[in-house]
Amino acid sequence: MLPRGALGVLETRGVAAQIAATDAMVKAAEVEVCGRQLIGSGWVSVVVAGQVGAVETAMASGVCEAPKHGELIGAEVVTSPDAAIDRLPHGAGLGDVVLDSGQALGILETRGIVQLVAGGDAAAKAANIQVSGWACIGGALCHLAIRGDLANVATAMQAGKAAAQAAGELYASLVVPQPATALALLLPETAITATEAVGAMGIMETTGYIGAVAAADAATKAAVVQVARFNVGSGGRIAVMITGAVGHIQAAMEDAVVAAKLAGGFENKSLVTLPDPQIVSCFAHTASSAVPQGSALGMIETRSTVALAKAMDEMIKGAKVAYEGSMKVGFYLTAGVVRGAVGDVKVALELGALEARRHGGLVATYLIPQPDPAMEPPLPHR
Amino acid sequence: MGNALGIIEVEGIGGIIAAADAACKTAAVELLGWESIGGMTSLFFRGSAAEVAASLDSGCEAALQLVDRVIAAPLTQPESACVKLIGNPTQEDVEIPPGALGFLESRGYSTQLVANDRMIKAAPIDILGLLTVHDRIVCTLINGADGAVREAIAAGRAYFSNNEHFFCSSVIPNPSTQVLRAFAPNS
Repeated sequence: MLPRGALGVLETRGVAAQIAATDAMVKAAEVEVCGRQLIGSGWVSVVVAGQVGAVETAMASGVCEAPKHGELIGAEVVTSPDAAIDRLPHGAGLGDVVLDSGQALGILETRGIVQLVAGGDAAAKAANIQVSGWACIGGALCHLAIRGDLANVATAMQAGKAAAQAAGELYASLVVPQPATALALLLPETAITATEAVGAMGIMETTGYIGAVAAADAATKAAVVQVARFNVGSGGRIAVMITGAVGHIQAAMEDAVVAAKLAGGFENKSLVTLPDPQIVSCFAHTASSAVPQGSALGMIETRSTVALAKAMDEMIKGAKVAYEGSMKVGFYLTAGVVRGAVGDVKVALELGALEARRHGGLVATYLIPQPDPAMEPPLPHR
Repeated sequence: MGNALGIIEVEGIGGIIAAADAACKTAAVELLGWESIGGMTSLFFRGSAAEVAASLDSGCEAALQLVDRVIAAPLTQPESACVKLIGNPTQEDVEIPPGALGFLESRGYSTQLVANDRMIKAAPIDILGLLTVHDRIVCTLINGADGAVREAIAAGRAYFSNNEHFFCSSVIPNPSTQVLRAFAPNS
């Protein structure tokens, strides 16, 4: 461990900026990375330690590098830090991805999961690279890390950037030809498992839970498709991943878009044919196996926990419905789900809407009279 | 102990800590825990209908000293589902830290880390922990002798003077043990 004359904390909006700055910092002076902290809305901090002069030099290069790949929020140096500072939660936030020497690193960062999947798929198909993983950091920002030899990473990133831009907004991208080993502490890690070959993958992204569930239900009723997973992003985003034969996915996506727009919160969509297995594993690998319930499903989404609790209370008291779960989607949104006979759920939702509105927090209610069993297993609210 | 439920919701964490302390001191309510969605946090407590009503009043009043807007409601005979919304239940096995409780809340981690440094160096206090919810909100909890906590919080506030990301701060000289069990992170 290096002597700790000082701590430097560099805060950015976005992970590409953080990784670029950290690479510059540890190469500029003798400092070690001793922490990382996420606090939502895309703000991430990295903490470095070393002698005062080294930390100051490192911070100066970090401050210079970060704005090239995102937004610099703050850079602070604390001299002679008390041991209590080391016990703050940033110390527990470090990852442990293995970064082989000689491997280059690529980061693709987008606002929205649709662009990340589209970009990631194009990157993985364009060159021989390995997907390290993906993560969300709030404010709808998410990123994907790839590694491989420099030529492959550069080619993959070029294809990935173009595809992400075609699907929507690209927030940042970064290629680090010779990444410092310390960067391994900051990278996302997603286990890549072998998956069955998939004809096509549809991605439908919404803000809020109701739109996502409505889209999934419409998709499964429109064609023979599988709802593989609900990727809960950040900033209130949820991405429904459906898989199946390309013609079926096309038909399902059409209906899903209509349903999501009707229910509210539609953000973006994309269709990927013959998706790369690494991308399928990252985003559409099915893990859950909950038993489908069969009866009607009612959802209420609010901006307040008080409104949701009061609404739930009214719903369960006023109609024969059972509480099934709740779903926090970030961005000041929370949803509650009930089950029962169609008529009961309908009454419950009316009561709930009235009550939530009374507390100033109603976003929407939604009734699915006969939820498709194919949509049920991956529902994340249970 | 009655069965009624009180919920108080504000933006940030400091407001519900102040509300929790006032609620616990007003009537014999039991703090069940807290929940956050985005940057909004909610406090859940249980008692008789009369106790809950009294604690809701004093809790809201205390929160309004720190934040502009409070959402609150009693549930007289709550369904069990309402309690399932609590994401951070009150912990049983927390070592109760002695003395006064202080908190300092802002948006952003880098400045909050510097504020921590200023507080530790200003007076002999301990950092109990740092709570984060979404939307960049960070709240540091400290404890120690009343005077030391006041001095430390004053130093933290001074650091944040004219900082648009400062949220709120307060010192509770004799905090309810329930508040400490609900909010002091387990270390």
